[in-house]
Amino acid sequence: MLLPSFVFIIIVTGFPLLYSLYVSFTPYELLKPNSLIFELPKALNNYTRLLNDPVFWKSLGNTIIFLTVTVNLEYFLALGLSQLLAQVTRGQAIMRTMLMIPMMFAPILVGFQFRWFFNSNLGLVNNALVSLGIIGEQTRIAWLVDEPLGMICIIIATIWMNLPVMTIILLAGTLSLPQETYEAADVDGASAWQKFRFITLPLLAPFTYIALTIRSLDVARAFDIVRIMTDGGPARRTELIWTYAGRLAIEDTKFGLGSAMSWITVIISVGFTVYLFRQLVKSRIVE
Amino acid sequence: MRKLTLILLITSLLAVLSFGALVSAQEGEPQYAGLDKDLAGITIKMLTIGGGQYEAMYQSLPIFEEATGATVEIVTLLDGFEIDKKLVQDYATGAVDYDVAWNHTSFMSRYVGFVEPLNNYFSAEELAAFSPSIVEAATIDGNLQLIPRHADISALHYRTDLYNDADIQAKYKEATGADLAVPTTLEEVDMQARFFHDNGYTKYGYSIVGKEEAVTGRFYEFLFGSGGNYFDENWEPIFNNEIGVSVAELLRGWYADGIIAEDTPNLVWDGDAANFCNGDVALKLEWYGWYSYFQTPDSCPNVAGNFGLARGFSGFQNEGARPTGWAGAHAFSITSASQNKEAAAQLIKFLTSERIGYEEAQLGFLPVRDDVWNRIISDASASGVPLDQERLEVARVQITEDFKTPPLIAEWIPFSNLFYPHLQAIMLGDVTAQEGLDAAAAEARQLLADAGYYDE
Repeated sequence: MLLPSFVFIIIVTGFPLLYSLYVSFTPYELLKPNSLIFELPKALNNYTRLLNDPVFWKSLGNTIIFLTVTVNLEYFLALGLSQLLAQVTRGQAIMRTMLMIPMMFAPILVGFQFRWFFNSNLGLVNNALVSLGIIGEQTRIAWLVDEPLGMICIIIATIWMNLPVMTIILLAGTLSLPQETYEAADVDGASAWQKFRFITLPLLAPFTYIALTIRSLDVARAFDIVRIMTDGGPARRTELIWTYAGRLAIEDTKFGLGSAMSWITVIISVGFTVYLFRQLVKSRIVE
Repeated sequence: MRKLTLILLITSLLAVLSFGALVSAQEGEPQYAGLDKDLAGITIKMLTIGGGQYEAMYQSLPIFEEATGATVEIVTLLDGFEIDKKLVQDYATGAVDYDVAWNHTSFMSRYVGFVEPLNNYFSAEELAAFSPSIVEAATIDGNLQLIPRHADISALHYRTDLYNDADIQAKYKEATGADLAVPTTLEEVDMQARFFHDNGYTKYGYSIVGKEEAVTGRFYEFLFGSGGNYFDENWEPIFNNEIGVSVAELLRGWYADGIIAEDTPNLVWDGDAANFCNGDVALKLEWYGWYSYFQTPDSCPNVAGNFGLARGFSGFQNEGARPTGWAGAHAFSITSASQNKEAAAQLIKFLTSERIGYEEAQLGFLPVRDDVWNRIISDASASGVPLDQERLEVARVQITEDFKTPPLIAEWIPFSNLFYPHLQAIMLGDVTAQEGLDAAAAEARQLLADAGYYDE
């Protein structure tokens, strides 16, 4: 009975992956069908070109910064929010529902919304700052152009949209923690901070690693919001690995190069996921 | 005497009748084309552009179906960039199951080999109805790639309330020693844009888009307007020469000095047009398609009725300088995979006929046919708004004399994608103009070398 499932998975998952791996070793361009040729001496051309491409390294560096800042900020905010929500005794269901609202928007809409917020001439943020007298009419801030403000704006939009996911996971974890431990700590005279630091945080570790893994993989795939807000620019200042891969493969029709870039990214992502899961296993052993 | 009187009477009568016939021929209803063949039982599939006013012409398809007996099926309606992506994928994977496909002069080089050369489907007389500059631009290696539907080109938009103000004129004369007149060179544009900005008449002096193909095209205009080009006749990049550097330095200076908006590197067409609409800009190149938007007081109260149009200015005054005129035309082609090429050609004749062209021109699109130009200019003269007619007269000159497509290579969009980040870096001051253009030239050469442009 396993065979049909196995064959199905191979066809649905394995074939496209193997095919894209094959394509990554060819100079294939979408509008030149004859370019889908594997030649051993040239098989690694796409990979060597990418490794020598400053834009690739720039986009990889940007992605790492974006990922690190976004996921960590999101985690600390979600941790705080989840602890506050866990204290709420009445109306928690309504608050949880309200919290989920940003998740209901398509990323592309969030991108448009924040692009407008941060528009230097017509945007909400600059107009508010001008009205409050914080900046002058002639000194409006080019939020989406300036470095590093452009990246910060994208991080804000991403966190706004995805904070609920991590908050809900951490809230679920917090609510499932055994109350006896806290009662024992109360008997021992532990302070609120000591309870949080020595009981809540360690016991939440499995939930934390699951949330971090899910969000890290998700953030690393960021495309829509960046595409709409800055499209990786200006001058590659917010170029991420997937916006660059998309530009190469879809707009420039260089499928071979785009596939090679995707595979490098996938290998990095798999390594990162393995690391996080190992941490998850360790945290469970401690538990 | 009676005989002479009779002859004169008959001659006069004939003259009046002939004149009447001439007038009625000129003022008669514009005619459809492509209805003269029996296409009963044939289904013609079409993949074309949709959205807004683009779709108005498709309401006339029942007339074609009734006259020819053919059935026309619109497979998909998509916007320009989305339709390009679909066409690329369909052409590459052999998934084309339609006969007529949207095309555009900026994209057509990507589709060569996947669309049918049209020379044999249209007579010389039929082709003579279209602007020769567009037909010429749409011909690659002697093969006509498309039949144009309507065109667009940018005109200089300038604020008449500023240019006609006596105080401003006097101050400009005092500051520069020159008369304030609509600029005809890039040097004058620079001088005036700086004057308007520096003296606080407008928030910015000029406005320009700052990313994607939009800025690659705008830079191209300034470049070829100054006698330069992206590539030489052997497809070697030459935009990093003195001309290219001077244009890049101009944009860099404009950005650094606040002559253009602080978010210019993030602007595309809508944001760029909004700057003019808001009254923040004194002058700029802009597509004709925004005309009715700018003229509507509810949309643009600061500029409606307060702006004029002029032919694009020349670039820096080098050898070969010429007016700007980066232009494009929406069009139709017959796919190579079509099983009904003759019927597809009939449908294209219908869709690009005088009648349909006239109806589209009434919606604001710029015509590509002389007969349609005559009609809409005549109509505009009766509108009561002088700019309505002036706009069309300027546009006609531009379409006829200044129409210039991007380089006709399939790598235009990939080239643009590698070029514009370097241009942005120059504008933002991350690199010098020479460094940025040299880096872009090296990448462009690699791109074209990969595509087999050089014997190496």
